[in-house]
Amino acid sequence: MLVNAIEAKGLVKNYVTWDRRGFFKRKKRIVKALKGVSFNVIRGEVFGLLGPNGAGKTTTVKIITTLLLPDEGKATVMGYDVVSEAEKVREVIGVTLSVEKGFFWKLTGRENLKYFGMLRGLKGRELDRRVEEVLELVGLKELGASDKLYEEYSLGMKARLALARALLHDPPILILDEPTIGLDPMSARTIRELLVKLAREEDKTVLITTHNMFEAELICDHVAIINDGRIVAYGTIGELKRRAADRLAVEMIIAAPHTILGDLEARISKLIGIRELGLEPLEEGRARLRIVVKPGEEEVIIAKSIEAFYSNGIKVYQVRVHEPTLEDVFILLTKGSK
Amino acid sequence: MPSTSIDIIRASVFSTYAWLKNNKWLFFSMLIWPYLMTFLILALGMVYGSLETYRERLGISNPVLYILASSGIVMSSLMIVDVVATSALYHRWLGTLPYLLLTPTKTYKVLILEPVPSAILSSTMSMLAILPGAVFFEGLLGAGKLFLILLVVYLGMLPLIGLSVIIASLTLVLREETNIASFLTPLILLLSGVFYPIQVLPTILQGMSRIFPTLYVVQAAKLTATYTIPEIKALLGLISALIILTLIYNGTASLALGTSERMVKKSGVI
Repeated sequence: MLVNAIEAKGLVKNYVTWDRRGFFKRKKRIVKALKGVSFNVIRGEVFGLLGPNGAGKTTTVKIITTLLLPDEGKATVMGYDVVSEAEKVREVIGVTLSVEKGFFWKLTGRENLKYFGMLRGLKGRELDRRVEEVLELVGLKELGASDKLYEEYSLGMKARLALARALLHDPPILILDEPTIGLDPMSARTIRELLVKLAREEDKTVLITTHNMFEAELICDHVAIINDGRIVAYGTIGELKRRAADRLAVEMIIAAPHTILGDLEARISKLIGIRELGLEPLEEGRARLRIVVKPGEEEVIIAKSIEAFYSNGIKVYQVRVHEPTLEDVFILLTKGSK
Repeated sequence: MPSTSIDIIRASVFSTYAWLKNNKWLFFSMLIWPYLMTFLILALGMVYGSLETYRERLGISNPVLYILASSGIVMSSLMIVDVVATSALYHRWLGTLPYLLLTPTKTYKVLILEPVPSAILSSTMSMLAILPGAVFFEGLLGAGKLFLILLVVYLGMLPLIGLSVIIASLTLVLREETNIASFLTPLILLLSGVFYPIQVLPTILQGMSRIFPTLYVVQAAKLTATYTIPEIKALLGLISALIILTLIYNGTASLALGTSERMVKKSGVI
């Protein structure tokens, strides 16, 4: 029996793009999207392909799902080659590329699923049964949305329908490109719980791409971090966190209007002499300051920061020190990317 | 389980049915379109001349039925070109194209077969819409003629599908987001001799009209609308022309689609 459901070895992909500088004038540009991507996805696990925007996640997914030809390298899904045995690969995968579109607007959820089920060779009672099963599984039946037109769906419903389509022909492998992007917390949680359930109870292999570290930490057994077309880290969440074990994260919630954040970040950095920090705007004129420090340094840094804030009239609401999260590892490994 | 051609056709028929069911006004407008077109042409024609003159110039016995049938034919042709040629683009806009291409079968099969049932259904409907008119003017004989015209329309579809697939391939490869096929609509209307004889066109346009299958379909329709029994020899000539065009267009289309599939999957347009 195959141990790996998906194997990618040395995938290389270059795109030709054109910079348009006028009506006729344009300049050719080669974008190196993948520079030798290799990873394995073990059967029955939830695997996360993480990376910042433009890192190569979607290109990798498109190659694995046979929608794109690699320039170099090889990828197999359940032992089938994605180039020479593309049709076999398509039989064993369920795919979601975008949760926002990909259905007929003037058809209901149920009709859309029937259409895609027919394309997959399902027919008669089996088709009806599977459509009902997946509508129930993703919760669209419970929401009373099965017979609503797709154009009337909320983003959360669209995401559920996209997952339902991926599950329709009961494939052993699910490949989902950012399945929770843009969803409200409740919908995102429902999708995440469902993915874990499918992997644990139905032995499905799930590959998701995301840049939501919280999500990856919550559901993934293994993750690979891709940056600038290369895999820069691979392992379990615990293994990756150990890569940042010599670090601690200090988090402060401060009162800072959003307009001064850029300036403030530079000032704090200069004042406390630390480069690895970030300011994230929050609601109600607050911001979250995050400083990565070495163990033992935290007390001095906190004291210096608070002093600096108060001398500038900035209130500090909350201070918290914690172990490195996957996000810290991600930032550490993808630092400097665009 | 691999998908068969029948699976793709069934899915396409189902989506077309569901689409029409959920868009009843569109369905209704498709049915009355030939009548509106006939009314417009007749009304414009009456400004410049009489029905008698039109009858004499075109050599037809019933101008109203002729225009009605011609409107049906031209609408069928436009629909085939529109549906098949813009199918890939339409699916790209909807975001359904990747999921079509994920069907476990040869990609070219999906791209050709998926739009065809919709094209056939739409053109059959626009021809059947004329049925009440045909029965009103000529009784059962009118219905029989219409059936004959429908067969010729189906034959005319074969080269039109090939032509449309070539346009679809171009649209994908050139990464155009606009409908390249739309330039064909006025050309088909102009060159097919639907509402006037092509002899009134300049020689160069008359030559161009011979590469459009619609011309032969319209001429065949004219034969069936003019005479009680169509002249078999003339009809065979027109059918031969359609078969030759089918071979040329579909042969080119199969080459174009294979090439464009490779180019699209290499360039990552999808």
